[in-house]
Amino acid sequence: MIDHILTLLIFFPALAAMLGFVVAKNSMRAYGITVAAIEFFLSLWLWYAYDPMVSGMQFMESMPVIPAFGINYLLGVDGLSLFIIILSTFFTLIGIASLTETRRLKDLIITLLFLEMTMVGVFAALDAIIFYLFWELSLVPMLYIIGAWGGPLRIYASIKFFLYTFTGSLVMLVGMLFMAYFYYQATGAWSFSILEWYRLILPESFQMWLFAAFFLGFAIKVPMFPFHTWLPYAHGQAPTIGSVILAAILLKMGTYAFVRFSLPLFPDASVFFMFPIAIIAIIMIIYTAMVAYAQEDIKQVVAYSSVSHMGVIILGTFALNVEGVSGSVFLMLAHGVVSGALFLLVGVIYDRRHTKLMSEFGGLASVMPRYAAIFGIMMMASVGLPLTINFVGEFLSLLGFYKQSHALTLTAGVAIIVGAIYMLAAYKKAFFGPVTNEENKHLKDLNKTELVGLIPLTIVAIWLGVYPKPVLEPINNSVESVIQLMHDKAQSAEAKARIPNVAGNDETISIQEAH
Amino acid sequence: MEVTLTHYLVLSTVLFAIGLIGVMRRKNLLMLFFATEILLNATNIAFAAISHYIGDLTGQMFAFFIIAIAASEVAVGLGLLIVWYKRTGKIDLDQMNSMRG
Amino acid sequence: MEIYLYIALFAPLVGSLFSSLFASSPKTMITGYVASGLLFTSLVSSMILLSYVMGGHTVHVEMMTWMATGDLYIPFGFVVDQVSVVMMMVVTIVSTVVHIYSIGYMDHDKGFNRFFAWLSAFVFSMMVLVMSDNFAGLFIGWEGVGLCSWGLIGFWYHKESATWAANEAFIMNRIADLGMLIGIFMVYWNIGSLQYDVVFEQIGNLPVVVITWIGIFLFIGAMGKSAQFPLHTWLADAMEGPTPVSALIHAATMVTAGVYLVVRSNPIYDLIPNVGLFIASLGAFVALFAASMALVNRDMKRIIAYSTLSQLGYMFVAAGLGAYWVALFHLMAHAFFKALLFLGAGNVMHAMHDELDPFKMGGLRKVMKGTFVMMTLASVALAGIYPFAGFFSKDLILEVGFVEHHYVIYAVLLLTAGLTAFYSFRLVVLIFHGEERYKLFGIHPHEAYKFMLVAMSPLLVLAIIAGAFKMTYYQLVTSLLPDTQYHVHSEMTYWIMTIGTQLFVMAAIAFAYKKYGNWSGVPDGTSTMENRFCYKLLWNQYYIPKFYHEVFSKPYGELSRIAWKQIDLKIVDAIVDGIANFIYRTGENTRDIQNGNLSTMLRWMVFGLIVLVALAVAFSVGYNAVGA
Repeated sequence: MIDHILTLLIFFPALAAMLGFVVAKNSMRAYGITVAAIEFFLSLWLWYAYDPMVSGMQFMESMPVIPAFGINYLLGVDGLSLFIIILSTFFTLIGIASLTETRRLKDLIITLLFLEMTMVGVFAALDAIIFYLFWELSLVPMLYIIGAWGGPLRIYASIKFFLYTFTGSLVMLVGMLFMAYFYYQATGAWSFSILEWYRLILPESFQMWLFAAFFLGFAIKVPMFPFHTWLPYAHGQAPTIGSVILAAILLKMGTYAFVRFSLPLFPDASVFFMFPIAIIAIIMIIYTAMVAYAQEDIKQVVAYSSVSHMGVIILGTFALNVEGVSGSVFLMLAHGVVSGALFLLVGVIYDRRHTKLMSEFGGLASVMPRYAAIFGIMMMASVGLPLTINFVGEFLSLLGFYKQSHALTLTAGVAIIVGAIYMLAAYKKAFFGPVTNEENKHLKDLNKTELVGLIPLTIVAIWLGVYPKPVLEPINNSVESVIQLMHDKAQSAEAKARIPNVAGNDETISIQEAH
Repeated sequence: MEVTLTHYLVLSTVLFAIGLIGVMRRKNLLMLFFATEILLNATNIAFAAISHYIGDLTGQMFAFFIIAIAASEVAVGLGLLIVWYKRTGKIDLDQMNSMRG
Repeated sequence: MEIYLYIALFAPLVGSLFSSLFASSPKTMITGYVASGLLFTSLVSSMILLSYVMGGHTVHVEMMTWMATGDLYIPFGFVVDQVSVVMMMVVTIVSTVVHIYSIGYMDHDKGFNRFFAWLSAFVFSMMVLVMSDNFAGLFIGWEGVGLCSWGLIGFWYHKESATWAANEAFIMNRIADLGMLIGIFMVYWNIGSLQYDVVFEQIGNLPVVVITWIGIFLFIGAMGKSAQFPLHTWLADAMEGPTPVSALIHAATMVTAGVYLVVRSNPIYDLIPNVGLFIASLGAFVALFAASMALVNRDMKRIIAYSTLSQLGYMFVAAGLGAYWVALFHLMAHAFFKALLFLGAGNVMHAMHDELDPFKMGGLRKVMKGTFVMMTLASVALAGIYPFAGFFSKDLILEVGFVEHHYVIYAVLLLTAGLTAFYSFRLVVLIFHGEERYKLFGIHPHEAYKFMLVAMSPLLVLAIIAGAFKMTYYQLVTSLLPDTQYHVHSEMTYWIMTIGTQLFVMAAIAFAYKKYGNWSGVPDGTSTMENRFCYKLLWNQYYIPKFYHEVFSKPYGELSRIAWKQIDLKIVDAIVDGIANFIYRTGENTRDIQNGNLSTMLRWMVFGLIVLVALAVAFSVGYNAVGA
């Protein structure tokens, strides 16, 4: 069973979702929780069986799909993807367990299970076509979730979300096809396997174009400035569960793909585009933090804060050294936990008051002390206080990029100031001050269903902040091999200099030169 | 004055242009058929002339084909036209817009 | 010995977690007792460690790995050496006193349990800060005290001013923390480690420019925590918090973290005397600057806060001039008498029902004997009168300035000493002497609980006798810090200086008694004094808060709104929607092609034909041209 655990992880929820159609309506919730819990424990088993000392792919599976074009059903995990898979199953479980939605609950749970399949699929796929398949499929359940359970502008928001990200991924698909064609030209055989692609050394001019094509697909997904405007609408209209999954997992697809595709495939282009991308990342960090500060709706604050934090992740990724990339992968998880929790928390007051405007609240700290405490912890994690999960990622990302540019890191470091400004301002507006609104006087504090979701997240946020080693170590090992690969493949002198030689041994290990 | 290939080709072009204008301007379906015939015959002239000029019979063969196809086309087309006329009492092109997208 | 280290470190954390269990339930005395008891345990462990360290040993433990990736390796490591043990003593003594005092002070507060949770958490963070053996650990404590300070300043969160002050403090500290973070990055990429011992050993191999930048960035961090100009405004506003908090955080411990950082990093600052001189100059400036604002202020707690700021300036002068042990000594002495002063002020506030204007008090010595004695003695110590603690530490700093030939700094500090004496006694006189003006406001003051006064007494004793420990202290810390003795060369000059300073300070005190001893009535803004330019300037804190508000806060808010409403919605999003709309409209407009009208379709067909023919011709011409 362990040999096919990835296939099991991908298709178990989908199968369960199909069976879900025949499950009775009132036992659907229990059914969903059971399925998600089994899936989560399977993913924990994956972690248990994973060997953290091995930097390469593990649990690989392969099955030909279209042999003539080298398309295989190829799966595998390494330190980069392992924890995002666990995060996906974790959030699906928490999301279903703490669902407060009542309209068409059965359909919603089925949609979520399908979504889980696509999420695990994206992170486990090692074949570009399979990856692309899951990447695009993930749009569909999310489209439904926003479009069917969303707010008043849900149709506009869901169409915007779908078309925008879809456009980007089409360009990415062209890039993938060209990459495979190039592989064919170089070796005489078709292949869409990412691992095979890793061995190619592309001429620099090709790298630039391919990098740009992939970049568009990933950048819209992340979303990077100026492609970020679909996100506030999607978050603004999506139901709580939609926002949670979107922020915690779906956005990570973009940043994960940068580490999986862009860096190892195009090392020279990565170095070439490092500074422009860093500048975009800095704009993301500061500009969206300012926009977040101006928001009146607390959910939008969290939505824009996501963009701001994604900027730090991008910055860490393009630090192109072990510290930075490990930090950015870790920050993906950290941001997933923290922003997911914040969206859950926003959902709590929305359920009670059906408004998210901060001006409607105030003084909640005295009415809902437990809620205020958990919100406070998550806010401080979002601000990046040491000993919370976010700090480890942010610290390492910035530390990594400092090696590349001092001045840009100083500018990007403003993140810790502007982040504090909008978060504290929002917290002050909602939680501090006297209780002015009559309706808020008798709000109930967190109930059991809500605590089920929030307490595990709080524990994770602090546990991994204090002791990140179990997660950071496997990440570190895989990142080291990625960086080493990049260093070996790099052609330009600048790229060689900017990407450190991790192993310190001699160059060119088993890399096939393309002609 | 000797009649050269150019003359034939000019004639063919002029006929083709007349046919084209007819296709574009005419609203009556019957007139449209006439215009189509002119178009086809314009190409026939060009085919036959060039075929003669370069001494290759393939062109003239094509002209025959075209004549045959044109005849069958007219036969089918006129048949349809008559049916249409019986149904609506009109053969005005602007009335035929049931395929509006 | 490790066990004592862990007890000293984690006892406050346990206390905090215990209290936080009851955070949302009604007041239970047990949280106060448990938290204080654990703090006392921590104090006892620190004392045991102190005696151990005095025996010439140090304790160094590595608890576990925190972050390790690439070449970076950061453990949770703690060290008890001559410097950190002094800080541990200061922190645990003052916080034990403050904890016990708070049981009485927060007696009637609804957030009693929550208060102890925060307060003990603060002590834990502060212990991490001083005991850590690397810069990253220091940063944990650094941010941790910032967080607790945020929670405690904004403790009465229903008050707008309190939450505003809390956010201001947090954000200003964050600005400085960025500097500190960059400093840490520089250390890491240049040395490859963040452990103090490794860094201090290898720092000398770096080029001076790099060391200078490291020194500057680390000092920016220190400026924020220690509220040095221009990041000083938060400290006065932080007085919105409960008074025990002001005593512990904003007088004795957290604000001195910046001084601790400079003292701890002495091997770095020793190599860059220029930065040191800058630190000293800034310190001298802040000393005078803060003292001047204290002269006219009418808020009891703010006056003491400015005096703290001023004394921090003194400490930075000493640290900047390389007299690290002197700085640390003043830090210690100051912690005792300033905490005492604040706690006394807390008693007065309680008695006066949270009235803060000393002009509305007067004559309180009759009803509050204990507090009167304590605050007076604390003020005497602050003024630096022999033989109180302040004399030994503050006069030493003056001597350092003199011996190092920085006469301007010396003069500024001397002047500040006079001002300090004056405003301290202005406060004491206005509160405790003269006419009983509070009667006008219908207040019936009463003395604080007995046990609060008893709790304060250790601080009183230390404020009086701390000077006696000077030699012991000196021998202890100079095994780690540079032991420079500061002796004025000629004995004659020394005596003139010392006695002159004493006389000057006493004159200032006498002047305060004369001016305010028989004060009557409450100033209402009409007197000529209050309308003078100088007074207004000082009263408005040199208009700096206003300046910050106008130049930073307001434009930031405006810019944010512009970024959202104008740029994000009207430009970035509008372009995206514009592209989508363009495509949509193109479709809408070209729909007419498919109108089903045969003649139109034929026309389009002809048009297409012509285009194709034209293209074919154009390409064949082009092709032939290339081919030829």
